[in-house]
Amino acid sequence: MSEADLPRAPSRFVALLGTRSFVVGVLLSAVFLVGGLISLVWTPYDVTVLAIADRLRPPSPSHWFGTDQFGRDVLSMVMVGARTSIAVGLIAVGIGVALGVPLGLAAAALRGGFLDDVIMRTNDLIFAFPSLVIAILITAVFGPGAVNAIIAIGIFNIPVFARLARGAALSLWTRDFLLAARVAGKGPARISVEHILPNIANLLIVQATIQFSLGILAEAALSYVGLGAQPPVPSWGRMLAESQTLIGLAPHVALFPGFAIVLTVLGLNLTGDGLRDALDPKLRRGRT
Amino acid sequence: MTLLSVEDLTLSINGSPILNGISFDLQAGNVLGVIGESGSGKSMTAYSVMHLLPGGSELNGSIRLKGHDLTRLDEAALCGVRGAQIGMVFQEPMTALNPVRTIGDQVAETVEVHGRGTRREALQVARRTLDRVGLPADRFPLDRYPHELSGGQRQRVVIAMAIALQPAVLIADEPTTALDVTTQAQILDLLRGLVDADGMGLLMISHDLGVVAGMADRLAIMRRGDIVEAGPADEIFEAPAHAYTRALIEASGHHPPRGPDRTREVPLLEVRDVVRTYRTPRPTFLAPPGHFRAVDGVSFSVRRGENVGLVGESGCGKSTLTRAILGLDPIQGGEIRVAGNVVDADRRMARADRRRMQVVFQDPYGSFNPRHRVERLVAEPFHLLDEPLSAGERRRRVGAALDRVGLSAADADRYIHEFSGGQRQRIAIARALIIEPDLILLDEAVSALDVSIRAQILDLLADLSRRLNLSYLFISHDLSVVRAVTDRVLIMRAGRIVEEGATETVFRNPQHAYTRQLIASSPDIDSALAQRKIS
Repeated sequence: MSEADLPRAPSRFVALLGTRSFVVGVLLSAVFLVGGLISLVWTPYDVTVLAIADRLRPPSPSHWFGTDQFGRDVLSMVMVGARTSIAVGLIAVGIGVALGVPLGLAAAALRGGFLDDVIMRTNDLIFAFPSLVIAILITAVFGPGAVNAIIAIGIFNIPVFARLARGAALSLWTRDFLLAARVAGKGPARISVEHILPNIANLLIVQATIQFSLGILAEAALSYVGLGAQPPVPSWGRMLAESQTLIGLAPHVALFPGFAIVLTVLGLNLTGDGLRDALDPKLRRGRT
Repeated sequence: MTLLSVEDLTLSINGSPILNGISFDLQAGNVLGVIGESGSGKSMTAYSVMHLLPGGSELNGSIRLKGHDLTRLDEAALCGVRGAQIGMVFQEPMTALNPVRTIGDQVAETVEVHGRGTRREALQVARRTLDRVGLPADRFPLDRYPHELSGGQRQRVVIAMAIALQPAVLIADEPTTALDVTTQAQILDLLRGLVDADGMGLLMISHDLGVVAGMADRLAIMRRGDIVEAGPADEIFEAPAHAYTRALIEASGHHPPRGPDRTREVPLLEVRDVVRTYRTPRPTFLAPPGHFRAVDGVSFSVRRGENVGLVGESGCGKSTLTRAILGLDPIQGGEIRVAGNVVDADRRMARADRRRMQVVFQDPYGSFNPRHRVERLVAEPFHLLDEPLSAGERRRRVGAALDRVGLSAADADRYIHEFSGGQRQRIAIARALIIEPDLILLDEAVSALDVSIRAQILDLLADLSRRLNLSYLFISHDLSVVRAVTDRVLIMRAGRIVEEGATETVFRNPQHAYTRQLIASSPDIDSALAQRKIS
């Protein structure tokens, strides 16, 4: 059998759909994404209106997830909270990718040089601090709020992507096709964009889904200690914090935002796993 | 005595047939050479005997080891057979050893796994076996790690692991393909000696008839899952019955036709006293870093239209020199000139000078960005043009270049993974040709190819050189390949050129001891057969 007769690996799209974890993950994440999007135009109840008379109602046909201590509809709050969580996750990952990847590529292109050392040692420095503590510090200094939380979480995504991009790029720089590109007179910047970036995109996408879920967790944690999104903007983390004293009295108030966090993170992680399996041509061929 | 008897073995993986009913016998003290090109099923034959097959495999037929049918055994029983009664030597000594365990540990493991003694006894066996494979205790204590050994020494460790329990059958899957020619000759000698001493049966798998010509008692020639010819090695070499066998024998020592010498007395590439040093790690914390001279005062020149071979073993500095000539790495001394202009690793080098040189690499799988189409891959050197080409012109020239190397213009829209190794090497040559360079550096450009594909690529290179008046700097560890296509040859060792001269003169009358050693170890069917007749 010549090499050309080898069974062709299925296309990426087909492979993705055949990956069970990817399908489950996407469905889970999509539930919350759609919930957040719907909340932009419609929610079952207005989350800014208090109805003290209806407080702490258990789940019922009129309030599917029940009501909280101010009589607000928990389902509506979880929907609006999804917006905050997804926005924080997306923008924080965006900051990490936009700054971290170019830094990592530059460090790899100038490997062993002065700039490589500067970039990577600064990364080590950031890595050395416990991220959540620094995020708390940043929000404490610049004031609590969703925007500062996003920036704080985003900063800690930079070294993650820089290191990943550099490591993957370094192994590519030893490959012959990059030598061929250099023989064609191309400079390091051009080679990084044309040859390296497309070849490490898989890795970056997978890492992005993981950082996305970590971002949501970090935002929940910051909100939980009161340094994330401020009232009246609902946030899953703050909903948890505010309901913890009521856990014996009305567990549903804490349970639903808790489930939302767990299921979104689970969904994103499964999506990441599925993407990794489906985008890696070696794993793809092995599975079919 | 028949040790291993394979009868009517068929194998299919996920429904596609790999082996179509092959049969052979292996006698004690004999070497059976299984010869075939990539995809012929020769490695799968070995894995079938070991029952190390990928999922989705369906195996039929009988494999008898000393009369016991291995196909009837369950996995646990097979584990007792593997390593103890059948040993295996793999192609790649760099990956066949665990890098974090000592060599003594790894050889002893085979003994311990099969419950043949305590740890102490196992280590004693390991010591004796390592001595047998030529790794004596004073230079190679058991606590050495694989990275402290050279490729040939590692392959000796792998062989030691395979023979530690004195198996009846040893399977060697391309055991020397990853090694230099001189090391290869030593490993082949070692294997032959072990077979003779222990009365083992050796199943020797190779793609190159030249490699097994000197040692095989019987041959089986495989092609597309069938044995097309089998019999005593002498008879097959004397009178090959099958056309494919004849083609393989011809390809192994292939010499492409060369045109009249059109070399002009114009130096194209001048390399003068070039030195390339690497910093080595500081030996102690405060000591200054050491220096390693990879290229140590090398001088030579290549004239326009001339084909020059640069031969040396891995680590001799030939690839480092290639990179310096291409202006990819800075040099620490001397001067490199192309058509009279200095080559400089800085970006200041003029595009017009860079355009004069292109390169073809060894590995047809690593030389291309897997995410680009062939058109973009081949067109990459157009970056060196001062004016970008129009899309139509670009396409036309890519098509012409593909045509020239024996592919079609329609291939431009395909991705690189759709091509075989030989086709990829043609694409690499098309990429090198596209801006009409004067000099092409061929860095082991045919080493990774099957012999028949290699013969085709050599023909193509010879033809292109004749038609386009190209110069080649042909870098290789394999003298026989260089002999076929070059006018002049340089022998490099440890960063220096030890011998230089017209190719045929050097071959007929090598002056330096190292050159003689290289020529003697080069696999060659004719000389191997001559040797057999004497003994």
